[in-house]
Amino acid sequence: MRRQRTWLYLLFWTVVSFFTLFPIYWLFVISVKPAVELFSTPEVILSSVYWKNYVDVLNDETLRGYMVNSLIISTGNAFLVTVLGFLACYALSRFNLGGKESIFFWTITNRMAPPAVFLLPLFLLLTQVYRFGDFTLLDTKIGMILVYCTFNLPFAIWTLRPTIDGIPKELDEAAFVDGASAWTVITEIVLPLARPGLAVTLILTWVFAWNEYLLAATLTNFNARTLTTGLSEYVTTTGTEWGVMAAISMFTLIPALIVFSLVQRHIVAGLTFGAVKG
Amino acid sequence: MQSNRLGWILLAPTLVILFFFGVVPFFYVLWLSFHQWNPFALDPAVVYNGADNFRALVFDSGFLASLGVTLAFVFFAVLSELIVGYLLAQAFLKDFPGKAIFRTIHTLPLIMAPIIVGSIWKLMTTPSIGIIPSLLDSWFGFDLNIGTSAVAAFTVTVVMDIWHWTPLVTLTLIAALVSLPADPFEQAQIDGANKRQIFWHITLPMIAPALLATVFIRLMDALRTVDEVLMLTGGGPGSATRYLGVHIFKEVFPRTNYGYGSAVSIIVLYLTIVSCWLLYVALIAPRNKKA
Amino acid sequence: MKFAYKLSVSAIALAMMTGASFAQDIQIKNPEWWQEAGKKFDGATLRGVTESTPASNYVADVLAPKFEELTGIDVQIETTSWDQMYDKAIKDMEAKTGIYDMVYIEQDIVYAYLARNFLVNLTKALDENAELKAPEYSEDNFTTFAENFRGSDGGLYGVPMEAFIKVYLYRTDLFNDPKIQAEFKEKTGKDLKPAKTHAEYTEIAKFFTEYGKANGMDLWGTTAQAHTGHPASWYEYFESVAPTYGVYNWGIDANNNYAATVENGGTMNSPEAKEALKWWLSMRDIAPPESVQSTWTEVATTFAAGRAAQGLVYGENAAWIATDEEKSRVVGEVGVALPPLEPGVLEEAESGKGYIGYYDGGAFGLPVTSKSQDAALLFMQFMALPEIQEDWAAAGSRITLTSTYDTPKVKEVDKELGGYYSMLRDDGKLFKGAPEYPFHRQVIEATSPTFYEILTGSIGPDEGLDMMAQKAEEELKNLGYRK
Repeated sequence: MRRQRTWLYLLFWTVVSFFTLFPIYWLFVISVKPAVELFSTPEVILSSVYWKNYVDVLNDETLRGYMVNSLIISTGNAFLVTVLGFLACYALSRFNLGGKESIFFWTITNRMAPPAVFLLPLFLLLTQVYRFGDFTLLDTKIGMILVYCTFNLPFAIWTLRPTIDGIPKELDEAAFVDGASAWTVITEIVLPLARPGLAVTLILTWVFAWNEYLLAATLTNFNARTLTTGLSEYVTTTGTEWGVMAAISMFTLIPALIVFSLVQRHIVAGLTFGAVKG
Repeated sequence: MQSNRLGWILLAPTLVILFFFGVVPFFYVLWLSFHQWNPFALDPAVVYNGADNFRALVFDSGFLASLGVTLAFVFFAVLSELIVGYLLAQAFLKDFPGKAIFRTIHTLPLIMAPIIVGSIWKLMTTPSIGIIPSLLDSWFGFDLNIGTSAVAAFTVTVVMDIWHWTPLVTLTLIAALVSLPADPFEQAQIDGANKRQIFWHITLPMIAPALLATVFIRLMDALRTVDEVLMLTGGGPGSATRYLGVHIFKEVFPRTNYGYGSAVSIIVLYLTIVSCWLLYVALIAPRNKKA
Repeated sequence: MKFAYKLSVSAIALAMMTGASFAQDIQIKNPEWWQEAGKKFDGATLRGVTESTPASNYVADVLAPKFEELTGIDVQIETTSWDQMYDKAIKDMEAKTGIYDMVYIEQDIVYAYLARNFLVNLTKALDENAELKAPEYSEDNFTTFAENFRGSDGGLYGVPMEAFIKVYLYRTDLFNDPKIQAEFKEKTGKDLKPAKTHAEYTEIAKFFTEYGKANGMDLWGTTAQAHTGHPASWYEYFESVAPTYGVYNWGIDANNNYAATVENGGTMNSPEAKEALKWWLSMRDIAPPESVQSTWTEVATTFAAGRAAQGLVYGENAAWIATDEEKSRVVGEVGVALPPLEPGVLEEAESGKGYIGYYDGGAFGLPVTSKSQDAALLFMQFMALPEIQEDWAAAGSRITLTSTYDTPKVKEVDKELGGYYSMLRDDGKLFKGAPEYPFHRQVIEATSPTFYEILTGSIGPDEGLDMMAQKAEEELKNLGYRK
């Protein structure tokens, strides 16, 4: 009976994984084909492999620069919004702040804005208003980290709120009674218990920042360009270089996978926590 | 209980950042929506035109059509993602060999940028040379043509969105499910509740806040989808997949119709906020107050 | 945080590495002059934005480093996608931020930029700063394409960078195959040769589509740039097909209060326009199935993959289709001809009243908001030096100076290309760029939703063009051009 169950799960997940993986497999197929072969009746199984696209990508220093920018911006942003979101959620959950439910709801409205039209005001603000002498936030990594807060900070607050609310208040109240400082309570009592939620928030905000295109395309020029904007260089009037684009996309998966596997452990840790708590 | 001052201090950085990068641009867009401005008009100045933009909107068949297809898209995509995402999250709670690998595989679509996702699906579905139409044709004799059939294009955008974003739902629901306390479930089992009763009366109410947070996120993200669809169909065939995000993009970027585009955005934002607010007031707020 | 710190350190290291990109060895006639001229600006940085095309990439990868080596002026070129490039350049010039010292101007947007006074009059600027004028630079070197970038004051507002015509490509291997020729003769009673009229083109297209089907080949008789959600289809119809039926300038009459409808004196929904659309749609129906999702890119790739026997293809693609074995299956099998026409259109084109197809291209302009205009003037002239043109032409299949036609490399490619460059030189005058309107993308976006509906068949072509003409007039009224 048990064993049968296991096989059923394996079968189920194999089927699901097939559907999940097929488009990615196809991305790989595209990356190892010369462009001209894409325009013929497709074959599911590769008959020959063409590595030139990967060689081109590896030899491109500019792309490496974009990759580094992307890593800095998305990692910086994910940490920033997770920390700020965590603190904000703690405040919303534990304090009796006037209008806090309205504030909570208002934060999410920042994510609802259709991006296209907000590019212009952001561009104007970054170039003309938020400037310090000659230094403007346009085309800087710190500028992008801050701009990405508009969609990631609300997300962090909204995904963390249920987690923080779910941590029994009695725990931190007891600690306060024992004379612990607010800092100790937050870092040593609430933080460890919120780990699975924090891990998920960190992963997902990282992913959103890593994948963002429209804002980066408008608000960066030379110094802070990200990988997604680099991709758009391969979509040109004289021929979209699907192969190179696919090869770059395969490369973008690697850092993302590393980040994922690093953080996923904490979600698993959360699993045992849930069991112990019961 | 600590003093509220500490609470405000903890909240302050969030409020400051969102004010400077969210609220200030919003007011600019709001201001612009009451003006006529196209930098390539004969008169390129920003001219106040009262509520003209909003009045025009009500009769703009292009906008209304876009609103219609967007709502359909959001409904089908988000509902499917929730159902599939919940089932998968449940399936991940059980232990079975290779779970970590399957979970990693399942999260892969998430780490692909929307423009990449749009490109892959475009290449997979191009009539006659894409793998999907080609296989459908040779297996079932079915002609899938996203360049001519509105239904086909719509369906492909929905399937693409499900493929891309279900993992997000799964992940957030796993996080919610694993932190559920065990006692109510044990108690229910002792009381002889069946699976369906447990789901409706215990699981669902307990994960409701997380579930709704996920619904909101998906709802608003689906409402502003741009990159993927622009890449896949360009909004076509005809206006079949010209969702609001794409509509606004075309209005503002190529057409440089900033005044009108701002008005459209404000209305879309308003509709999103109102519908989310209603959901929120009905379902989440009372819960948070209790807590 | 440590992690982020390490990352930023490696970012700096990488940035330093990228600075050391190599300059290809190009010979400049008068290096001393450039070294001298550059002294004033030592350490200056110029920033440009352009679309990532082979011709632009050559500027970024070869010309910019060479220029820096000579003058000490650093040139950074941002390459991006087509619509992003416009948006960024416009935002910068509109908001007067001064990010860019050079912007790529496609021929069809120059009128919009001129109307807004975004650009510096290069002729005047060089006249006023004689010490900046390079001895080898002269406006007389340019081909007639440069006329597109002159303002009403006669000054030059952009240094032409690339120029192409949209030509009729056909497969020489198929057209010259005796068996196919015999079969064609048998079926139609005519000799198989590139079409001169639409009727001939239709006959050939139908023949090859049937031939492909009968022989189980992936071969169709024509290409079609008929995307149902991207303006590429709009462009193909209005800029390449309608003119061959005698409908010019999108059917909008600038001298008649920008009329588009027939009743107001326009031609957008004239009988000729309707006939042209119906003909093009009938060709679309026998083109490869992917055509309904095709922009210019896909049309070129379709042709390169050997899926079409003939078709209208943008000239910038002609070179790689005919010569690049990695990208094309029809290398050495490409012939070039003038587009098929209705009777009388060629005469109108020769007399200057009309044109037979699309002359496309772009230039680099200098925004008035630039903070390093003088240094940018130097680079502008540098790009127009005769001695650097030959390799650039080979890399990007573009020609903007008359002298470039006679260079050995261009002559050689011309042979492989079935005489594309000769056609550009001799018949270029029969082609024309987009009409001189400052409202291009506005009218396109206002009318294209209807156009896409025509393509999907939910609106008939006649009725659709009537609606489009009305929409165009409405938009022009809103913009204030039509009174």
